[in-house]
This record gives sequence, C-alpha cells and structure tokens, in this order.
Amino acid sequence: MSIESEVSLDGTTLTIAIKGRFDFGSHQDFRNSYERFYKVPDTYIVNLKETTYMDSSALGMLLLLRDHAGGDEAEVRVINSSSDVRKILAISNFDKLFDIN
Amino acid sequence: MAEIHLDPKVLSGLQEVMEGEYPKLLDTFLDDSQKRVEALRTARDDAKALGLIAHSFKGSSGNLGAVRLAELCRQLEDRSAKPVPVDLGELVDKIDQEFARVRPLYEHERQRFQL
Amino acid sequence: MSVLAPVLEPLTILIAEDSAADLLLLSTIIRRQGHQVLTASNGEEAVEVFTRERPQLVLMDALMPVMDGFEAVRRIKQLAGEALVPIIFLTSLRESEALAQCLDAGGDDFLPKPYNPLILAAKINAMDRLRRLQATVLQQRDLIARHHDYLLHEQRVAKAVFDKVAHSGCINAAPNIRYLQSPYALFNGDLLLAAYTPSGDMHVLLGDFTGHGLPAAVGAMPLAEVFYGMTAKGYGLTQILREMNAKLKRILPVDMFCCATLLCLSAQRRVVEVWNGGMPEGYVHEITTGKRTPLMSRHLPLGVLLAEAFDDRTEVWPMAVGDRVFLLSDGVLDTADANEQLFGAGRLRQVFAANREPDHLFEEIELALAAFRGEVRDDVSMVEITLQPGQSLRATGQLYADSGQSSPLDWSVSFEFRAETLKRYNPLPYLLQLLLEIHGLREQSGALYSVMAELYSNALEHGVLGLDSRLKRDAQGFAEYYRLRNDRLARLNSGYVRVHVQVVPTEVGGKMTLRIEDSGAGFDVEQVLARPLDIDRLSGRGLSLVRQLSSDVRWSDGGRSVCVEFSWEALA
Repeated sequence: MSIESEVSLDGTTLTIAIKGRFDFGSHQDFRNSYERFYKVPDTYIVNLKETTYMDSSALGMLLLLRDHAGGDEAEVRVINSSSDVRKILAISNFDKLFDIN
Repeated sequence: MAEIHLDPKVLSGLQEVMEGEYPKLLDTFLDDSQKRVEALRTARDDAKALGLIAHSFKGSSGNLGAVRLAELCRQLEDRSAKPVPVDLGELVDKIDQEFARVRPLYEHERQRFQL
Repeated sequence: MSVLAPVLEPLTILIAEDSAADLLLLSTIIRRQGHQVLTASNGEEAVEVFTRERPQLVLMDALMPVMDGFEAVRRIKQLAGEALVPIIFLTSLRESEALAQCLDAGGDDFLPKPYNPLILAAKINAMDRLRRLQATVLQQRDLIARHHDYLLHEQRVAKAVFDKVAHSGCINAAPNIRYLQSPYALFNGDLLLAAYTPSGDMHVLLGDFTGHGLPAAVGAMPLAEVFYGMTAKGYGLTQILREMNAKLKRILPVDMFCCATLLCLSAQRRVVEVWNGGMPEGYVHEITTGKRTPLMSRHLPLGVLLAEAFDDRTEVWPMAVGDRVFLLSDGVLDTADANEQLFGAGRLRQVFAANREPDHLFEEIELALAAFRGEVRDDVSMVEITLQPGQSLRATGQLYADSGQSSPLDWSVSFEFRAETLKRYNPLPYLLQLLLEIHGLREQSGALYSVMAELYSNALEHGVLGLDSRLKRDAQGFAEYYRLRNDRLARLNSGYVRVHVQVVPTEVGGKMTLRIEDSGAGFDVEQVLARPLDIDRLSGRGLSLVRQLSSDVRWSDGGRSVCVEFSWEALA
C-alpha cells in the first residue's frame, strides 16, 4: 500500500493516488495526503487506478475527505476505479455523494 | 631461528591493564604453573588427563606471553587427542624444561615491584 | 582505560575459570571496565553462584574440572528461562567442532585466549544490547498479552450485555426465522435484530457497521434501542429509518456508518417492505416458481446523510405463504481464498441454483465457503425469514407498567391530518399510545392496531391518493401500485384524513368508537363488500382483515367515512 498526493501547478486540484489495498491500514497515510497541504484546493481527485482492494473503512475515509473538503459543497471526484472497486462503491451508493467515473 | 620464550609486549600490555595488581598476577601465574608442571609429571601416562592440563596451561601461558610454553602445551594437547597412543613423555619433559627457563624471567620481572 | 568503549550501565558479570591467573586477569579487566565481578573456578560453582546472585552476563571457560562449561551453560540457560543471560565462552579451542559444541550448549559468543581487553569490552557491550533488546521484547510481549486478555474480557462483557439487548426481540423465538452468525460477528460490526410490530408484522434488521472491534459495536446499542422501541410502538419502516439515521449521524464520527437492510414482513398482507442502504443484495425466494427477486441496495448507509437529505423510500414485494426472504452480510461475499479471490455473488448464485431443499441452504452456503477458503470468516451473517400464515396478534403488554386504576373512561378527541403531514408523519403509534391508556383495550392492542392501520392506509391510499386496489392483482401491478403511491404522496398538496375517537363507559365496562374520514372520492361500498372474503389474492385483503377482527364495521358518506367499535369488560 502506498498513497501519493500532489497539487496541480495552478493549485486548484489535489490528486490522491492509492496503490494496493485501500483499507484501515491506510488511515493515517490517507489523512496526511490531504491534511499536509496548507492551501485548500477547489477540487479533490481520488485516483483508484492502482487500487486492488477497498473495504468499508476506505469508504469511511472517503467520507472524511469529503467532510474536510467542505461536506455538501465539496467537489470530490473518484476516478479510474476497477470493476471490483466500482461494485463496492455502487452497493454503498456512494455515487450519490461523489462524482465517480 | 631464534626462539622467543617471553613476549615483552605482552608483559607491558598486562602491566598497563593490571596496574597495581600486576605483581599479584605474576605471582599467581608462577604458583599456578608450578602446580600444572607437577600435575603433568604425575599424569605422565594418562593421555586424557595430560590433554586437559595442557589445554588449561596453554590458555594461561598464552595470556601471560610465555609464547613457547603455550606452543608446547598446544602440541601436547593435540597429540593427547590422537586415536593411536603416542609417547607423550618427551613433550612433558620439554614443557618442564621450558617452564624452568621462563620462570627466572618472570621472577626477575616480579622483582621490579615491591609488594 | 580511556580506550575502552563507555559502559552504559554497570553489569554484574560472572566469570567461571579454573586457571587462577586467567581468572585474576579477566576479573581485573572487567572491573576496570566498570562492572561488578563474581567468580567461580568450576562449572558447579558457576551454577551455584548464578542461582544465588543472578548475574546479567556470564564468561565461561569450556574445559574445567568437576563440571565443564558446556554442562554449566545448559543449566544456567534453563535457570534463566525466557530472559536472555548472554554467555561468552572463554576458550582456546580451535577445532570448529568444539566451537559448535559451545553454541549448541547455549553459548552466545566466544572470546579467544589470549585476551584482548578491547575486544572483550566490545563483546560485552554487544551482548548487553542483545540482553536489553530481549528484555524489552519480553516486556512488550507481556504487555500485549495483558492488553489482549483485557480486550477479550471487555469483549465478553460487552457481548453478554449486548446479547441481552440484541436478542430481546424475537430472533430466537420466532419459528419462521433461521439465522447464522459467527459468535463474535458483532465485534466485526454485524448486527441482526428482529421484533414483532403491534399488528403481528415482523421487522428484521441486518446491519454492518464500518470497522472492527468495539468501535464497530458501540453504534449497535442505540440502533437496537430505536429498532425495538419504535417497532413495539407501531412505527413503520420509514419513521424507524429516519430515527436510526439521525441518531447514528449525530453520534458516530464522520468516517463511521452502518450499512443496513431493514424489512417489514407482513403475513396478513402477504408483502415484504424493504429498505437497503449499502448491504449486499438479499433475495425474495418464490418457492413455487423458484424465482429469486433481488433486494438491491438503493441508498447510502445509515449515518451518512443529514436528516434533510435522507431517503426513506422503501420497496414492496408480494409474497405467498412459504416464500422466503434471504439476507446476508458482506462477510459471505468477501470471503477470500488463498489467492485473495473473493467468493462473490456469482458463486452464491451457483449455490442457490444447485439448492434443492430450501431448508439446507445455509449449510450449503457454509460448505461452499469452507470449500472455497478452508475456513469460514468470523464476520459471516445470514438470515432467512419464511412467510408463515396465522401469525397471532400480539398484545404489547411489556410497554405498560401502570395498574390501570386511573384509566380515562369518558372522553372524545378528533384529529385532522393534512397533506404536508400525510407525506411524512405516521399518526398511528401516537394514536395507539393514546388508546392504550385505556386498560380494557390493552388486551386487544394487536387487533386494534391492525384495524387502525388498515383503515388509515385505506383512507390515505384509496381515499386521498385515489389508488385503485385492483391494480395489485398481479406482481407487476403490485409494483406499479407502490410506485404510484410514492409519486402521488410526494406531490400531494391537498386532502386530509380525519380520525375521531370516542370513549364512553358502559354497564359492563366501556366502548371505544373509531371513525376515520378522508377527502377522497369514496367508493361503492355495496359492490366491494359483495366480493367474497378472499385471503389469497394480493388485493382486497385489508377489508377482509378488518371484518374478521372487528364485529361491527360501517361505512357512510359514499365510502368516505368508516366506523368501527371496540368494547371491553371491566376487570374483576
């Protein structure tokens, strides 16, 4: 598991990429990945391209990020999810809270 | 080849380590060695006993810088462990003679210090 | 001795050596290095001194009289137990076999003769580091073991407390529920609750909290309280869901929530009403055709959305006697094999397809999971509820503790519930509470609630919303009916349901008259009542039920007003 985050050059977008398992073990790293930036970006992108597994605590972490990003006003996009990960997001109906594609 | 009997560097090292205890170390060694030489004579025909005494004697003479004595003890220890019995009497005599040779050297060293 | 490595902390060191000169030399070196020295001149003495003084480190000559170093080391290691007492062999042994013998006996290192004080000091320090490391490891291991015991104890206590709360419902008593739960499933966040409503319907909740351990279990308590409390008072699924969601949203941290399926199984009405937020799909299994209708997750889990945004829409499916509802937790589907492949819904469907005897379904799923993985996970929950006829109506006795001496016996009250209220408020629990102030009615609370619920929903659905019950004659129309119901209710902006209650004392006890009026178009009472009492069709069951449960039912005002009476005798 590894989590990397970077801000776009214009400072408006923060992209968080999760490699491997996205579960309770990633909790602290995931929080650090967005809390360490001083400036608050407009858009958050969670890139799940290399995420192999996701459990319900990962869903909880996405909720934390959404809360951090402003709750109902937040713009959080979840991209590149594999079919397995997408199934988990679909069962939880997280598409009602996040822009998932 | 000129054989070294007593390594002076070892003695100066010991003196540095032992400080005030140095004369006592020499006394202890001489006393201990005397007992071992006698024990070797007594055990002359018992290879196993000779081996054990030689092993121990090798250790202390090595520590005290009696290089040749330690080497003779090593030979005795080695030969005592041979499966075919060999005559060890000659080596016991050599050790006896070597101790007789280094003993005055240690006593001389000892006299440099007054207790 | 400035050249020597500094000593961290003075140690007590035992030296066992039969050569007096070597012993003196070594003791002096070690004392100069700042340690305390104990001496022994053979193995037996070494064991004695060790037993008495418990030194932290031992320097041991290999060949000694009385007892040699190898035997002494074996005994000392045994005496030391788990603690590491490093032993350094003092040896002029040169054969590798003899050196190996030192290690086999339990020695940790060697020091060759003649001694080198620098190497000796370095070895003592290195061994001391190992000794400390081992001591730390042991200390932490013991600490972890103590914490673990403590945690297990807490879990046992919490489980005992929780079992009392969670199983206060009918999960174990109801003949038509079968369930399978790993013993500590609760501590993996799984929760299974079941209880009867006042009218004899059954509410079942299968939930799965995020996370594991106690944090996952704490949310279960308030959830169970809401579930049992509101079910017993006659609240419907939507009110219970709203309350659960609001409560969890209030008490749980942002990243915790509860996936849940909540259902209401009604044997009287032959329907199951379902809300699924985040659980794997369950199934309604039609026994005659073998058809399985999936109960899909349509919502976000409980505890995620604020009350304003929460979606309480349920789905309703018809059921025949003998049909079954099957629910499961993700522990079933996420059971992974050695290659991290998940069991998955596909394999579950294969088990369904192969199933011949519905009563053996659980065992077959368990077998399939075991064959897939080798052992079943400890967060597997499954429940199956069968629709059985003749569920007796239950009195909600446990809700009341008063003696009934102060029952109000001569009063009346009228309510008018208008569009905005009809949309989101269910007045029945409140009305039931009010009526059960009358001691004489408590015996009949089940029948009373069923009749009230039926008449109220008739007034709302057929009256105010203008829905035709004949739509429900087949499964497709049935779904259409409930879709229309939701749509029309959401857009409702006029209309009313009025409820009038009149209570009067009689010579033998008392009488309660309940009249319900609606703003709808009315219906042809003669024609509807001319239909035979029909309990197998999907439609029209409600009126049959009312006519069975109350002796006197009268319609007036072109079907817009209905009146029933309940009487009771005073207690002796």
